[in-house]
Amino acid sequence: MKNRLKVLRAERDWSQQDLADRLEVSRQSVNAIETGKYDPSLPLAFRIADLFGLPIEAIFLKD
Amino acid sequence: MAANPVQRRYVGRMIPISIAYIATVMLASWIIPDDAAATPLTVTVALVPALATSGFIWAMARYIAELTDEYVRMLEIRKMLVATGLTLALASGWGILELFTDVPRVPLFYVFPVWCLGLAVGSLVNRLTIGDGGPCP
Repeated sequence: MKNRLKVLRAERDWSQQDLADRLEVSRQSVNAIETGKYDPSLPLAFRIADLFGLPIEAIFLKD
Repeated sequence: MAANPVQRRYVGRMIPISIAYIATVMLASWIIPDDAAATPLTVTVALVPALATSGFIWAMARYIAELTDEYVRMLEIRKMLVATGLTLALASGWGILELFTDVPRVPLFYVFPVWCLGLAVGSLVNRLTIGDGGPCP
């Protein structure tokens, strides 16, 4: 699944570690999600959406 | 190197269990003579180190249960699945060889160490398929 995480993160000038800290996950996780290697669970996707103040579908896109 | 509280707790559990394992294996080796008959005493003494190996398994189960990072948990579970599949395949394959040929008998004791080696293979599989071997607590 594609996502706009890297762009949204860059807009806020956050590093992967900054985002990981805010989401309470590892930097590895953020990297894996950003690069499309791992699709987050629905609860984590909601946490990401809440953090950016956007609906899930504005962050995660169908292939 | 343990990087987060869950990994630190895991290492904190594994160290005393490892010490207990080594101590009880040495104790059993000292108390039980070679090729001793299976009496209630020898069986009881010999089973004490098995409690430590069960402790290793308990510590690994707690580690998985306590991991809050779902991606890291997935990596760890994939490693364990690879280790389990590899161990079952090797044990079954060798068991069939033992059934039909005169290959050396391998003690069941080796099943757990083989599974642990399988975790390293699992880490390699993660690295090759996902590009991330996962943590090494």
